[in-house]
Amino acid sequence: MINESCVHCGLCLSSCPTYLVTGVETESPRGRVWLLAQYSSGINIGETGLNHLDDCLDCRACEEACPAHIPVGHMVNQFRIASQTGAARSVVKPLRYFLASRRGRRRFKRLLNWSRYRLVQRAMSWFPEWIPPDALSLASGLPEKTGEVARPAMVPVKDGRNVMLFRGCVMEAVYGETNQKAYDLLQMAGARVVNPESQTCCGALLYHSGDTQALRDLVLENLTAFDESASGDVAVTSGGCSAFMKEYGDLFSPEDPIYARVVRFAAAVKDISDVLVQLGLPSLPVNGRRISMHDACHLAHAQGIRQSPRKLLQGAGYALVEMPDADRCCGAAGTYNLTHPEMARTLQAYKVSDIPQDIDAVALGNPGCQLQIAAGLNRQGREVPVRHTVDLLWEAYQGAKYER
Amino acid sequence: MSDSNWKKGLREIVGAGQLLEDPILLDSYGTDGYTLEKARPSAVVLPADREQLHAVVSHLYRERVPYVARGAGTSLSGGAIPLDGAVVVHLSRMHQIRSIDWYNRVAYCEPGVVNRKLSEALAPFGYYYAPDPSSQQACTLGGNVAENSGGPHCLKFGVTLNHIKQLEVVWPNGDVELLGSLADFAESVDVKSLMVGSEGMLGIVSGIWARIVELPQSRATTMVLFDDVQEASQAVSAIIAAGVIPAALELMDPLAIEAVERGVYRVGYPPGVAAVLLVEVDGPAPEVKEEQSLITHLLGKFPTRDIRIARSAAERELWWANRKTAFGAMGLLAPRYYVQDGVIPRSQLPSALRKIGEIGEHYDIRIANVFHAGDGNLHPLLLYDDKDAHMVQRVRQAGSEILRMCLALGGSITGEHGVGLEKMEELTWQMSPAVIQAQWALKNACDPEGLANPKKVLPVGSTCLAELSSDVTRVK
Repeated sequence: MINESCVHCGLCLSSCPTYLVTGVETESPRGRVWLLAQYSSGINIGETGLNHLDDCLDCRACEEACPAHIPVGHMVNQFRIASQTGAARSVVKPLRYFLASRRGRRRFKRLLNWSRYRLVQRAMSWFPEWIPPDALSLASGLPEKTGEVARPAMVPVKDGRNVMLFRGCVMEAVYGETNQKAYDLLQMAGARVVNPESQTCCGALLYHSGDTQALRDLVLENLTAFDESASGDVAVTSGGCSAFMKEYGDLFSPEDPIYARVVRFAAAVKDISDVLVQLGLPSLPVNGRRISMHDACHLAHAQGIRQSPRKLLQGAGYALVEMPDADRCCGAAGTYNLTHPEMARTLQAYKVSDIPQDIDAVALGNPGCQLQIAAGLNRQGREVPVRHTVDLLWEAYQGAKYER
Repeated sequence: MSDSNWKKGLREIVGAGQLLEDPILLDSYGTDGYTLEKARPSAVVLPADREQLHAVVSHLYRERVPYVARGAGTSLSGGAIPLDGAVVVHLSRMHQIRSIDWYNRVAYCEPGVVNRKLSEALAPFGYYYAPDPSSQQACTLGGNVAENSGGPHCLKFGVTLNHIKQLEVVWPNGDVELLGSLADFAESVDVKSLMVGSEGMLGIVSGIWARIVELPQSRATTMVLFDDVQEASQAVSAIIAAGVIPAALELMDPLAIEAVERGVYRVGYPPGVAAVLLVEVDGPAPEVKEEQSLITHLLGKFPTRDIRIARSAAERELWWANRKTAFGAMGLLAPRYYVQDGVIPRSQLPSALRKIGEIGEHYDIRIANVFHAGDGNLHPLLLYDDKDAHMVQRVRQAGSEILRMCLALGGSITGEHGVGLEKMEELTWQMSPAVIQAQWALKNACDPEGLANPKKVLPVGSTCLAELSSDVTRVK
């Protein structure tokens, strides 16, 4: 597993959020590769070494910076799994309960809705094993509960190509409306959208927390949904899910009977913004609203997606105000903000201070970042809405005059 | 002075969490971008700001504990390797751009500011910081000052020295002094320029006032593909001889091309290309146009495979990213590389390249060449496997021989990577004992206790090797 390609050049250092925060060599990608090499050669890296390895956000910024594209995030993940270490193991139980089944997800959604009440929040804090303390501080980033989405004034096209809408678990529970709006936009762009009931969680959060058991069942469910949908593309609204599912193929052996299906599915997975760019949305006149884009790690670093959401938003009439280091991790990183609260909060504060003052909204494409950044803005008393690219697009096209 | 005493003092200055003592953490600081040797520091201290840094240096002076400053640890000559159990003063937390003075056109930066971050911060205002070492995405200004770093675009704009207006230095005894000035005048004794390139031997820089310049009005980047490296190097000489000073003039040979094309920034060169030459001219638009057409005309006289002009900023950036990540991409060809940094007169380029090829063959070492062709600064990358002790030996010999060849051609053993730990012996080939003695006198005047970056650069006695202390582990 230890990659021999690291020549210790150090070009990755400045890309690493934890190195930016701590300034310590072993909190950098180069340091982590070095720690892994020490570990594999039998040297005891101790508690400190293990902690510094585990501080890796798996944001993959270094993988993009590395001239030899060494997969540091993957390596640390594999290490966590193989060595059964890492703080994320503590969240496996609740993740499995709440995300891996339909019933659990319903309960999760209910819990989220209740968590808006202070009394319930207090009661939740009595069960730290099930509800990590930092989850409660994140609750401040939850969107206002709203009623059903008004149906859009958009004309569905009857004979477009089939696109499966992948809803995700956290995405559907917290930002279900966004999924609904994605459905509308896809339809407007000319796709026949299929939204199979049988789909489930992608398994990324569980897998990255060290739970490799539950994955196969989840993948099988999603494969079935995909086959039923008879779609060429799987449009995903959560950057973390699309990044993980694009790499499903790496998690199965080519000898596995389902391997071919897995690979076919993985090849069909796309971020919603890429699908919409490909299908094409009508362009709208400038609407005078200024937005700033945060690039989710798993879109920017893992999938190289930066231009598609910008192109769509600008096409829909928004003015883009770039923030510095838009693709630096906000600290959410899956369940990292629950398992490494201190580092996550620091990165959250960095991100919030990088968000320009005079904008109407922050746009992004991943639920984890959305919650994290909204909570961070709240913490600093700033009232900038944090919106999924899809939400902003939907608003712009809602009622707008356009011609197909 | 007991061991615990000086550490206690450091802890009081920077806070307990900012003094690293865990052996595994210390060992991670054992080396920089030069991996042929390593040594363990006795501690690593991470000051948060200039006040803490000054206090740290004063304290280490009182306790007579040696130290070495470190930025991003991208140095290629072992300058940041802590010998004699030196304390590593890691300046990574001091990464703020304190202020930008538009009137005097300087940016006041802490030493840990990453080179490219400065240019990125200036870009929205139409300015940038000109020196651009290939490691600019990670390397720090403090390290750039210590090494007097160059870079592809230093051909036209000069190296770090030409872009530093003022420095705040903490001398080894803890005294703090401002060197240079924001005003433009020639000082009779230019101490600031002595600091630039002193490789951490004279003190630590705690503040840098870097010159900022306007982004060029226009740029033209040409990529020229050759079927023969010799032809390419002759084209370089022809361009310079014609009186054109491009902003950058960079050459890669077949092995280097193979590495970068496997890396993250793939350009997609046609198969079988033996040399890639990047020529960039910049300045006012009419001037750029004129120089560009002159260069194209000159290149027309050489048998080139293809001449491409960058059509967009994105394309230009890709070409540069492809070139600038060449060192790191060597990891895709071999487990380790050893990069040399010799300089030769430009006119000797074709024969130098031929000789490097011969040396590689003789020692059975694959050598890739990536270099600043415009100023004759060669970067042969000697590929090896650190698990093969014989190969490591051969690599060292081949590297040394390349440097001898550079000297024989009338050049130097280092262009921009410094002497560090790596080339102390080679320094004696280039400099007379008297010149080395004079440098010792300067070192002793600034650092009588010998605390700042001990046992680097200046050899003691006839060669340095006899003096290498036992705490250095020569890798194999």
